[in-house]
Amino acid sequence: MPVAIEPKATEILSPIRHRAEVISSRRVATDTWWLEIDSPEIAGRAEWGQFVMIGFGLEHLAPPFLPRPFSVAWRAEDGRIGLLVRAFGVGSRRLAELRAGEHVLLLGPLGRPFRLEPGSRVVCVAGGVGLAPFLFLAGDARRQGFDVDLLYGELTADKVFDTRLIEELTGGPPIVWTEDGSLGRRGRVTEGLRVEGPVTVLACGPTPMLRALAGRAAREGFDLQVSVEEHMGCGVGTCQGCVVQGADGRWRKACTEGPVFYASELTWSPS
Amino acid sequence: MVPELRQSLFGVEFQAPVLLASGTCGYGREYAGLIPLDELGGLVTKAVSVEPRSGNPPHRVAETPGGMINAIGLENVGLDAFASEKLPWLRENLARAHVFVNVVGRTVEEYAAVVSGLDGEEGFLGYEINVSCPNVKGGTMFGTDEAALAELVGRLRSETERPVIVKLTPNVPDIGIYARICEENGADGLSTINTFPGMLIDIHLRKPVIGNVSGGISGPAILPMGVYLTWRAATACSLPVIGIGGIRSGEDALQYILAGAHLVQVGTASFVDPAAAATVQEGISSYLAGAGIGSLSELVGGLRLPEHGQH
Ligand SMILES: Cc1cc2nc3c(=O)[nH]c(=O)nc-3n(C[C@H](O)[C@H](O)[C@H](O)COP(=O)(O)OP(=O)(O)OC[C@H]3O[C@@H](n4cnc5c(N)ncnc54)[C@H](O)[C@@H]3O)c2cc1C
Ligand SMILES: Cc1cc2nc3c(=O)[nH]c(=O)nc-3n(C[C@H](O)[C@H](O)[C@H](O)COP(=O)(O)O)c2cc1C
Ligand code: FES
Repeated sequence: MPVAIEPKATEILSPIRHRAEVISSRRVATDTWWLEIDSPEIAGRAEWGQFVMIGFGLEHLAPPFLPRPFSVAWRAEDGRIGLLVRAFGVGSRRLAELRAGEHVLLLGPLGRPFRLEPGSRVVCVAGGVGLAPFLFLAGDARRQGFDVDLLYGELTADKVFDTRLIEELTGGPPIVWTEDGSLGRRGRVTEGLRVEGPVTVLACGPTPMLRALAGRAAREGFDLQVSVEEHMGCGVGTCQGCVVQGADGRWRKACTEGPVFYASELTWSPS
Repeated sequence: MVPELRQSLFGVEFQAPVLLASGTCGYGREYAGLIPLDELGGLVTKAVSVEPRSGNPPHRVAETPGGMINAIGLENVGLDAFASEKLPWLRENLARAHVFVNVVGRTVEEYAAVVSGLDGEEGFLGYEINVSCPNVKGGTMFGTDEAALAELVGRLRSETERPVIVKLTPNVPDIGIYARICEENGADGLSTINTFPGMLIDIHLRKPVIGNVSGGISGPAILPMGVYLTWRAATACSLPVIGIGGIRSGEDALQYILAGAHLVQVGTASFVDPAAAATVQEGISSYLAGAGIGSLSELVGGLRLPEHGQH
């Protein structure tokens, strides 16, 4: 039985708010950009699976007016953080257009991180930009001696994030799946999950993928931690805007009680 | 010369005119360490009801042009947990900023139970009564039903000697009528305004974006309506008014002050930048300093109206 991640949000160090400069931005797949931002404050503290709220501040009325949540995908010794941005809505498109020298308003690091059980193998299951938190986690965990598999699924090859860069960041090649078979193995990334022996399964991606994995975790009895997505207002627990349904039916805040939950803590109703 | 921001109101001194709005600052503690809460004028808690409320299904928030829509559904911990878990933190950590407890209910009795249940506790100054709640009896909102509002305010007046501020809804044809009802029934002040009803549709899914279908609109988009309704309320009665709606700068706040507000609240802007309330406060101060105005109170209600024209 997994130990529930206690919602002790207020005991976490307070997040930091600061104006930060974009160092670089480059396109790494048809609709995906890799942003590096100068943020020693957040780089020094971010844990696996935590996120930042990124926005443009109060003078900026054009959309995105509200900040948007993005996973800390990478943190460097020199104080840079990396974000993986998939452009689809108005806010993420604007973030994808950011260029070196522009400034953003950052708030973070936020949320409850992934936990690794010592001695167990780690399997990361990433759907689309759900890859982001694992770029940071897989490399760190490997350096700490964990045996890590990174399963990474996309619809088609053109959406797959630069695999050489993944290898460079995580210290090993990802196992790539595409639904049309245009790169790597053909099918859904969840088909690639084999659970043998002590294993910690971590997942981040679209809700249907998380739901499918949660079903398997319940049937096969393995520990699964998922990082969930919900619209956010504040990112720090004040607005109650970001709720997901807990296993007991109660609403849980994705920003402070999550975004990482044990799958068994949540309700997985079909939608 | 540093301009004077202090004002005496509701029997106490407010060190500054900016408060955090209900529903946008949790129970205060969520912002501890992130912003200097005790430097502000104060804060208004998330709504408190007699029993805990679980709130609406997601999505509960989304961006709208120049603002946002929300339908949280008044999720809150309820009276008992508020008193035992949330109030102690406010009591122990805020020395100068004043706290108002935002109160909701479905019946007059429910509102009265929250007020009488909290009245003996320490750690807050008074109540902000959220009347944008459906009234179980009539189905209308307390804030849009003159008789229900009069009964509610009168009853709460008899329950407490603490300041009772009524937070009006903009959803009425003439807010001045409701302002006067509050005054006649013993309220100490008004907060204007709560959110405007609105809706956002995802055209691809052909579904409302918000789980509750409709929600309340807030943020800069509502600033001019808030200023107008604050002016109408402030000129319709003699109660002190707290101006709310779309404030994100000192200049925005000063519009409310000139319209007649003594204090202002900052809501949605804190989501964009947690430092928003402090920025607004500094903005007011630097405007006063630049304009050579010694004290903020000189500007309250200082609007210069044209002699002709329909107001
Ligand atoms: C904790 C967390 C970490 C995230 N990390 C990443 C990341 O590393 N990389 C990345 O590309 N994306 C990430 N996201 C998703 C990202 O926040 C959304 O893509 C973004 O907010 C969408 O904003 P938009 O303005 O582009 O879309 P909008 O134009 O606002 O909306 C487009 C569509 O997206 C939906 N939507 C809006 N906001 C969200 C949201 N927060 N989550 C899910 N759907 C949403 C809307 O309902 C709409 O259907 C993360 C989300 C969360 C909650
Ligand atoms: C997420 C959210 C939750 C809110 N919850 C409450 C509430 O519980 N009680 C209340 O009286 N007003 C509530 N409000 C309304 C605000 O206090 C404020 O009146 C309104 O948002 C307008 O101000 P703004 O434009 O500065 O946000 C809420 C607003 C938002 C955005
Ligand atoms: S985003 Fe505001 S409570 Fe989670």
